[in-house]
Amino acid sequence: MVGIDEINYAMQNLMHRKLRSILSALSILIGIAAVFALISFGSGLQIYVDDIAKQSGTDKLFIQAKSIGAPGTDDTFYISQSDIDFVSRINGVKEISGMYMKPAEIISRDKRKYNYLSGIDIAKKEFILESMAIKMHKGRDLKKGELGKAVLGYNYQFDNKIFPRGVKTGDKVSIDGQELEVVGFYSLVGNPSDDANIYITKEQFELLYPEKKDKYSFVMIRSEPDTSPKAVADKITEKLRKHKGQEKGKEDFYVQTFDDAIQMFTNILTIIKAILVLIALISVVVASVNIMNTMYTAVLERTKEIGVMKAVGARNSDIIFIFILESGVIGMIGGVIGVLLGYLVASTGGAIAAGAGYAMLKPAFSWILIAGCILFSFLVGAGSGVMPAIRASKLHPVDALRYE
Amino acid sequence: MLSDYLSIAIRSLVKRRLRTYLTMIGIFIGIAAVVSLIGLGQGLKDAITGQFGFLSTDILSVQAASVSMSGPPGAGAPNPLQRDYIDKIDRISNVDLVFGRYFASTTIEFNDKQSIEFALSIPGGDKRKPFERMTNLKVQEGRLLTDSDRNSILLGDNYHNDKSYNGGFGKAVHAGDKILINNKPFTVVGIIEKKGSFIYDDAIWMNEQSMIDSGIVGNEDYINIIAVKVKDVSKIVETQQNIERLLRKERNVKEGEEDFTVQSPQKALESLDSTLFAVQLFITIIAGISLLVGGIGIMNTMYTAVLERRKEIGIMKSIGARNSTIFTLFSIESGFLGLVGGIIGIILGLILAYGLAFIGSLALNSDLIRANVSWWLILGALMFSFVLGTVCGVLPAVRASRLNPVDSLRSTK
Repeated sequence: MVGIDEINYAMQNLMHRKLRSILSALSILIGIAAVFALISFGSGLQIYVDDIAKQSGTDKLFIQAKSIGAPGTDDTFYISQSDIDFVSRINGVKEISGMYMKPAEIISRDKRKYNYLSGIDIAKKEFILESMAIKMHKGRDLKKGELGKAVLGYNYQFDNKIFPRGVKTGDKVSIDGQELEVVGFYSLVGNPSDDANIYITKEQFELLYPEKKDKYSFVMIRSEPDTSPKAVADKITEKLRKHKGQEKGKEDFYVQTFDDAIQMFTNILTIIKAILVLIALISVVVASVNIMNTMYTAVLERTKEIGVMKAVGARNSDIIFIFILESGVIGMIGGVIGVLLGYLVASTGGAIAAGAGYAMLKPAFSWILIAGCILFSFLVGAGSGVMPAIRASKLHPVDALRYE
Repeated sequence: MLSDYLSIAIRSLVKRRLRTYLTMIGIFIGIAAVVSLIGLGQGLKDAITGQFGFLSTDILSVQAASVSMSGPPGAGAPNPLQRDYIDKIDRISNVDLVFGRYFASTTIEFNDKQSIEFALSIPGGDKRKPFERMTNLKVQEGRLLTDSDRNSILLGDNYHNDKSYNGGFGKAVHAGDKILINNKPFTVVGIIEKKGSFIYDDAIWMNEQSMIDSGIVGNEDYINIIAVKVKDVSKIVETQQNIERLLRKERNVKEGEEDFTVQSPQKALESLDSTLFAVQLFITIIAGISLLVGGIGIMNTMYTAVLERRKEIGIMKSIGARNSTIFTLFSIESGFLGLVGGIIGIILGLILAYGLAFIGSLALNSDLIRANVSWWLILGALMFSFVLGTVCGVLPAVRASRLNPVDSLRSTK
């Protein structure tokens, strides 16, 4: 039976060959650190996505006009108010709001930038903010039909984020030549593009761009609580197609549920994460080869010792256990230090990303990940030790004793 | 002398065959990963770079500023380029030719199936021939457009090949076919040669006037991009400044606050290149970690070798070997481990890169997936693995060279 003596013996051997054990542990810790850091970034991003999904709810759908660029950059196709009114009468549609979108020039203190401008229907304000998963951060929101006022994205408040000097409530900015007063700021979304958006009322938008009146590029919908958004999406696609007099497969718009959009993003994320982790795992494979090497050497060095142990009654299984335990501990030490190092790398990386405006790149450290990485490195170590351990156990005691 | 060192080093490596193999496995997995990933990354970079049509050194392109990543050039610019800039730029000295081009999305319908694609304008009159020459526009079927063509278009290769065309009309388009563009009937007069670039292969090409007449262009006074060909390439910077000065005046903006860009296509590519480079660097670093781990493996093996051969080292020293001799001996051994690991790694990496590119391009039917392993990469990887082996052997070799001959002779192993 395996006892405390065997474990003691294995530990003593590791201490005895300190340099070699450290080098082997070092090789696995580097790989584990990389894997740990990559996965923690991946799950942090996943949490961010899930958070948005929770806040904006999965009962949302979007209708978007087809275009070859980003929404709002190309108005070949659009959704009109009469289309929106038509869709609002479809069964299963609880709330609906069209949104104008357009890239615009914004000037503050003689500095010029180009960002997206949205014209929103204030009557549906709560619904829109919920859909975009944002809240009021500072100042006040726009009022219905209000002209001459604008609400800006989170990043405008700070120096050197968008403008060299941050914008404050009450400041005037010029948007495509029209002077507007900033009355408030929305909360942080976590990516530089959304946090640089400009919001005005739909009335102000129509006044600024009369040619864009009634040409919505984006429509948000909330489905009734007891319906499936997917079924509502299909129904809208079919009815709106008929309403617009278009044939199946020739729609100039598409309907997407929030789930679909999130799902697509999640899928891409998973693929990228998997590729990166696979590449990082290569170094773990190399490390396991190193451990195997170390263990073969240990077996060779301790041939005489193994002979003695066998001569005084050690069984093959005892020898196997000792060597596998040794290599497993090497792996585990590497794993523990690797997780610590990975934690440092990921936290630093996350802080740098947040500084650059990508607050969504925030690593998440779960206990499962930490325990999993340590267990994994123990298993890699133990697995690498299996073959050397078998060789050790099969040594013939007499030959081994004679070995010089 | 050196050949003696070499033969001793090789003999010691061969003697401990298993350990040598295992150590080299570490190196060659790392080198194979790095070589294949850089090779695939380079292939992707080449493919993407190749997507950007004409890249002559005598061209400047003018675009209005817009939010970044919003789509095709000039899409959604708050303050687009005016059509009358063309004639004004034309009067600047050293300007040979000026083309204004429209880019717009439109519906295209064939075989009762519709999709949305983008249309590009071809300039007419005496600018047509130089434009065709510059963009190397040739047809594989039918003919190119002429000034008298009204309701005629050219299509990219992907419409001709129903398999690669996304969405697909379910039927290949040929020269002479009738097609609906923006719900108006057009005749396909030619299919452009395959260029392996979406700008060519996915596009609908039409005469400027037909693009305006069919209502695809929203406002004919606003142009998406202006391409300027200069006469004397050596004065291109001066010409660029002159165009910038003209447009600043036209658009009433101050220097440093331009809401437009004038740049050579190479400049535009450089920014894309740096993004791709960053991605490639990141992946290489992650793959490179395995090389570092392999290096640690070499160090470990060499320390073990020093320990095992203490007696041998003692004998060599006692018959006159100097510290430097011992050092060289062990350095050669570890360098050799790295080099051979590197050679195997490069061979594996080449197989992996080209194999993956082949499978990937078949599976995804995309021209973007290809491998390009340059001689520099091979040479670099080889050098690197040798240097890595040698460097990782330095500490063990130093330890070996400093052994006290008397103590080493007395040691049991």
